[in-house]
Amino acid sequence: MAQTTRDLLVDPMVDNNPITLQVLGICSALAVTSSLTVSAVMALAVTLVTGFSGFFISCIRNQIPSSIRIIVQMVIIASLVILVDQVLKAFAYEISKTLSVFVGLIITNCIVMGRAEAFAMKNPPVASFLDGIGNGLGYSLILLMVGFFRELFGAGTLFGITVLPTVNNGGWYVPNGMLLLPPSAFFVIGLIIWAFRAWKPEQVEKREYKIQEAEAH
Amino acid sequence: MSDVQPTAPKGPIGRFLALPPDSTPKTIFVAVALCLFCSMIVSVAAVSLRPVQDANSLVDKRKNILQVAGIYEDGINVNEAFGAFEQRILEVSTGEFSDEISVEGFDDIQSASDPELSRELTNDIAGIGRQPNFVTAYLLKDEAGELDKVVLPLWGYGLWSTLYGFVAIEEDGNEIYGLQFYDHGETPGLGAEVDNPNWKSQWQGKKLTDSTGELRITVAKGNPSADMIDHHIDALAGATLTSVGVDNLVKFWMGEQGYAPFLVKLQQGGL
Amino acid sequence: MGTRSFFDRLEPHFVNGGKYEKYFPLYEMVESFVYTPKTVTKAAPHARSFIDMKRIMIYVVVATIPCIMMAFYNTGFQANAAMAATGIEPSGWRAAVLSALGIGFNPDNVFANMAHGFMYFLPIYVVTLVAGGVCEVIFSVIRGHEVNEGFLVTSMLYVLILPATTPLWQVALGIIFGVVIGKEVFGGTGKNFLNPALVGRAFLYFAYPAQMSGDSVWVAVDGYSGATALAISASDGYQTLAAKGMTWWDSFLGFVPGSMGETSTLAALIGVAFLMLTKIANWRLVAGCLLGMIAFSGLLNIIGSDTNPMFAMPWYWHLVIGGYAFGLAFMVVEPVSASHTNMGRWIYGALIGFMVVMIRVINPAFPEGMMLAILFANIFAPLIDHFVVQANIKRRAKRYV
Repeated sequence: MAQTTRDLLVDPMVDNNPITLQVLGICSALAVTSSLTVSAVMALAVTLVTGFSGFFISCIRNQIPSSIRIIVQMVIIASLVILVDQVLKAFAYEISKTLSVFVGLIITNCIVMGRAEAFAMKNPPVASFLDGIGNGLGYSLILLMVGFFRELFGAGTLFGITVLPTVNNGGWYVPNGMLLLPPSAFFVIGLIIWAFRAWKPEQVEKREYKIQEAEAH
Repeated sequence: MSDVQPTAPKGPIGRFLALPPDSTPKTIFVAVALCLFCSMIVSVAAVSLRPVQDANSLVDKRKNILQVAGIYEDGINVNEAFGAFEQRILEVSTGEFSDEISVEGFDDIQSASDPELSRELTNDIAGIGRQPNFVTAYLLKDEAGELDKVVLPLWGYGLWSTLYGFVAIEEDGNEIYGLQFYDHGETPGLGAEVDNPNWKSQWQGKKLTDSTGELRITVAKGNPSADMIDHHIDALAGATLTSVGVDNLVKFWMGEQGYAPFLVKLQQGGL
Repeated sequence: MGTRSFFDRLEPHFVNGGKYEKYFPLYEMVESFVYTPKTVTKAAPHARSFIDMKRIMIYVVVATIPCIMMAFYNTGFQANAAMAATGIEPSGWRAAVLSALGIGFNPDNVFANMAHGFMYFLPIYVVTLVAGGVCEVIFSVIRGHEVNEGFLVTSMLYVLILPATTPLWQVALGIIFGVVIGKEVFGGTGKNFLNPALVGRAFLYFAYPAQMSGDSVWVAVDGYSGATALAISASDGYQTLAAKGMTWWDSFLGFVPGSMGETSTLAALIGVAFLMLTKIANWRLVAGCLLGMIAFSGLLNIIGSDTNPMFAMPWYWHLVIGGYAFGLAFMVVEPVSASHTNMGRWIYGALIGFMVVMIRVINPAFPEGMMLAILFANIFAPLIDHFVVQANIKRRAKRYV
């Protein structure tokens, strides 16, 4: 592969972002982004799992029988996720309570599986590791952006620290309750995708059809 | 490097390694080896981290009890501060402490699903299905060793979920010191405002019963009448059903089916 | 033809290559407001009709006039009546203006009520037009399409389904969200699959529920709290409504607390009758929606429930309370977001009728279901059309085999 380390890490941030371009891993982005702290922990967990699962799968890629390769990838990813889950429960109990099942659901995160199948099965370990970390960072970037909007405007805080004092606590800011509900992440992600594509028009998909123009007579 | 020809594999191990990855023996071997390896890693992690995790969840529960009794501050040693509490098993129906069951390892909520330790409710206003016969009571003593506060568990159904919490009651068995929930799934921003410190602070100083001993505590909308001021908690704005749920569960646990027998004993000083 | 030549003189500056080429949509907006648009389709088939988009939109605005009148009257009436009953003194700039003009706050005086209601309606309407209009113009300038008259309808409907006490900044946020997310992201008028006015309202409903659905929002008096008929029915049963001063006739005529333009069933029915006579509203949508509501509420009446008093509410109450009638008259029949096939229209209408009763009666969290039911059906409208068309193709294929 001719890709440099920099390409592997930076490319998935904007040009090939797993969320905004490939639209993968949306479910967890909806569920965990109501606060920035939780988003950050989730982002870190996914980045680590994507990186290391890429590394380990790539290490044994020549030994993996193609008939059971998905199961092998799943077993490796699942083990890593359980490890992360156990460590969080032991050392970050409060956050693991908020994340609840969503750490476990990293197993089904399409980004992790997608990188394992599309990249790690065909590339050497170090490149796979970097690719995993890069995609994880692309995911983290969006997750943190969404978390930033939702926590700031939904609760008036950032990382739990009050930025906009809310009316319920004697301040002036009327929090936007919709941003605390998971569906609002759809809107925020949609707006981010819109902004990305306005900035980089080459990311826009081809039209499937064209509407007949009206003309002056 | 075309002059290096692969040599014929020697021995059973060599022959096995030379098999293509897709052959049946190799597939089974990879599957078994990977499973063994991964399960080993996972179980080692789970077993070695278990004590830390259990300690965490115990600290978490104790922290909630400290918070509701108003003695929690950021950064204190939770387990040390918890030493101020005496834990006793309380028989709900009689209001007496019981020594039949050990406090260690007793779980109020789990015992509610054990047919031997709970009863089916007929008048189930809190929406909890079964009520345990025994719960853990946490008694807070002051320096002189006199009873200061009692912390009791309570739970009930709100709008979407069961709210689990603790109530702290002063030694007179009538005045509430605090009430808070540690687990619920109510709507963020609406029902979840039960966690709002401003809302929770309303509970402090409210009386459960009036002078005749009738249960008056109420969570309701609007301005209370003069005789209700000591018993009125403002409902959460925009969260009617969560408020109704909290109202019901407080009335249930503080009423005859709940801790009333125990609270009457407290009021009479018969403890 | 003074105006015509005025436009003709200006036009070269705005068309491609002109000085103000970018602002063509603005020019076009004013011009087509005064004259018929001059664009036609160039691809076959052509259909000729005297009804163009502009005329449809103006008819809809005309149809809302009874509701607007009722919005003025009832908003003022509720506020004046509440003040008279509770003795809360009028305060704020509205009170100052009304006192200065010597109009007063007598709830029996029709003109005083209209004036008071108008002063609540006007700021909300102006904010809606300005905030939504700015978005419309920005998008049409960037995209190079014309500003659509549909916005006049959207803004009017949006204002009529708001409570009179909505803070003005929320009004602005709601219409911006409605116009941008409900319409412009999908390509503008005609390509939206949701009703933009309802999208804006739904946004406010979920974002600021305390100001949108609490007890104290429906009557425009500070410190007065009055529940809507739906909230009372949900907690105590519809039979207690009369005791609280809301008879069926009050509800039908619109003298009850509620969103500004939604309270009067009669005004909404006049509107929809006008729209059906002018063939803008398709009668199948209206009939389907009524049938779905009557059938499902009848079924729930039969089933009954000990714990949920809403089960017992008969269909004629469902018709007159909440936003049902208004939604039926102006939202259900909206042609762009509804189904486009005749069979599909029946199904679409019935789906809304069914869902509205379902949400009102069975869902514990939301007392009003009309807005959510319509948005839900909006999403299904293309799917319904698809299946209707497929079924039609199959049936015809069988006939000719």
